[in-house]
Amino acid sequence: MGQGVYYLKIFWAFARQVFHGNAIYRFEFWMRLFWVYLLMYSVYWVWKTLYTQTPGAFGISLEQMVTYALLGMMLDIVLDVGPEWYIATQVRTGAIDTDLMKPLDFHFHMLARSAGEMLFGLGILALPACAIGYFLFDLQPPGDAITSLLFAASVILSFFVFFHIGFLLGALTVITLDIRSIAWAYYALISFFSGQMIPLWLFPDFLRKISEALPFQAIYYIPISIYIKKLSGADALQKLGLQAFWVVVLTCISRWAWSRVHARLTVQGG
Amino acid sequence: MNGLTLYFRLIRLAVQARMQYRADFLTGIIGVIVMNTVTVSLISIMVSRFRNLNGWTMWEMVFLYCLWLLGHSLYSFFFWHISALEDYLVEGTFDQFLMRPVSPFVMFLGREVHYMGVADLTFAALGLSLAYRNLHLQWNGIHWLFFGLAVIAGTLIETTLVLMFACISFWTGRSRRASRLLIRLNMMVQYYPVDIFGYVFRIIVTGFIPVAFMNYYPALMLLGKLDPQSPGGWLGYISPLVALTLVIFSAVVWRLALRRYSSSGG
Repeated sequence: MGQGVYYLKIFWAFARQVFHGNAIYRFEFWMRLFWVYLLMYSVYWVWKTLYTQTPGAFGISLEQMVTYALLGMMLDIVLDVGPEWYIATQVRTGAIDTDLMKPLDFHFHMLARSAGEMLFGLGILALPACAIGYFLFDLQPPGDAITSLLFAASVILSFFVFFHIGFLLGALTVITLDIRSIAWAYYALISFFSGQMIPLWLFPDFLRKISEALPFQAIYYIPISIYIKKLSGADALQKLGLQAFWVVVLTCISRWAWSRVHARLTVQGG
Repeated sequence: MNGLTLYFRLIRLAVQARMQYRADFLTGIIGVIVMNTVTVSLISIMVSRFRNLNGWTMWEMVFLYCLWLLGHSLYSFFFWHISALEDYLVEGTFDQFLMRPVSPFVMFLGREVHYMGVADLTFAALGLSLAYRNLHLQWNGIHWLFFGLAVIAGTLIETTLVLMFACISFWTGRSRRASRLLIRLNMMVQYYPVDIFGYVFRIIVTGFIPVAFMNYYPALMLLGKLDPQSPGGWLGYISPLVALTLVIFSAVVWRLALRRYSSSGG
């Protein structure tokens, strides 16, 4: 018990530090808000135009489709916590030494930092983004209490999935020493297979099967589909289970990968 | 030694330095293949679902994307590291440039090259020639000349925009987030033709962050989609001018930024 409280305190200390670190960048706050507006505006028009052009091709109503697309952009600012960038910078400058010397599990440390990033996104950016979505575009409020609850649970799980995928990329930079060369591909891959740009049910069969076998769908597709009630009841619960499954699998892979990479780092450092 | 000679000498050094990082080379190439495959898949899913995107057919979309990619390939070969300016500043690498008796800008530009540009170039050339054949295009000399100019303009537009976004870090200490947002905006414009969006977005990508001039407007001209009656028709021809304006503009921003610079002491 005492041990648990101890870890919680450390976790909170790191998360809070990152939160404050973000809060001092005023300019960045306004820029991110403007950006989410711009992205929401763009996807809103894409689907509106396509819906007018081919109304039958969606399988859901225009309101649902627009809400899906808007949420994809909004969740982006909450979930995009980027542990990979922190790790990459630390590796390149050599400052990773000081992180590793801390009497603290590195994976846990990164999780705490990313949680701080997410709390900033949730606490400071999410509300104005919701307001923009609701008042300027046709963002539908969540239907009922159960849907909201399932959605919230699903978003928390998707944070863990996204964090671990980022963490694995970060571990990879220990070997490649550069993250920028893969950043574009990484974002493209995520936004495609997670269903952020196009919902998975619009994919051709074979691509949908591939996407469903990959962890990325747990990031955007599942929480948003729950929100617009494309997934509900037993289906929704089953998908939540799938997200939890990926969290466990990715946690194990991350910890294993980091232990390998850590060994390599020690060798390099002589 | 003038700036240009120095630049090419630095580039040669950078190429040699790059050779050392095998793993990075490999991930870079894989990354390019992944990114382009994803984009083309996205486009083809959308087009096959909706038959056309606001009047743009499959091969027109391929043309649109690969026109952007061609300009982007030059950018990603020579200027990719501009977005890393923030790291240069924080780590103190930038101070080295300032201590040399030559332009810090040339030192900065010549610092790195990236091989992904080569993969991008291959992909773009392939896509464009396939699109050219499938769209049964018959270009004359003026078209080809404009095509060349448009590609160079595309490179310059992307480079100067990235540079100006990166310069934010001179003021705020970090620009990574801004650069990432620029990537996202750029991707959005590559997935869809600009005319699918509403007015606010079109005005922004035309007048404020003019990424639409990298491919959308020149593609209108090159694909013969320009409507001579429409009031905005001239936009199809002015990419080179937009690029020139941006070059001047970013030079001013760079000057201001340097004046503002104080080392992090790192």
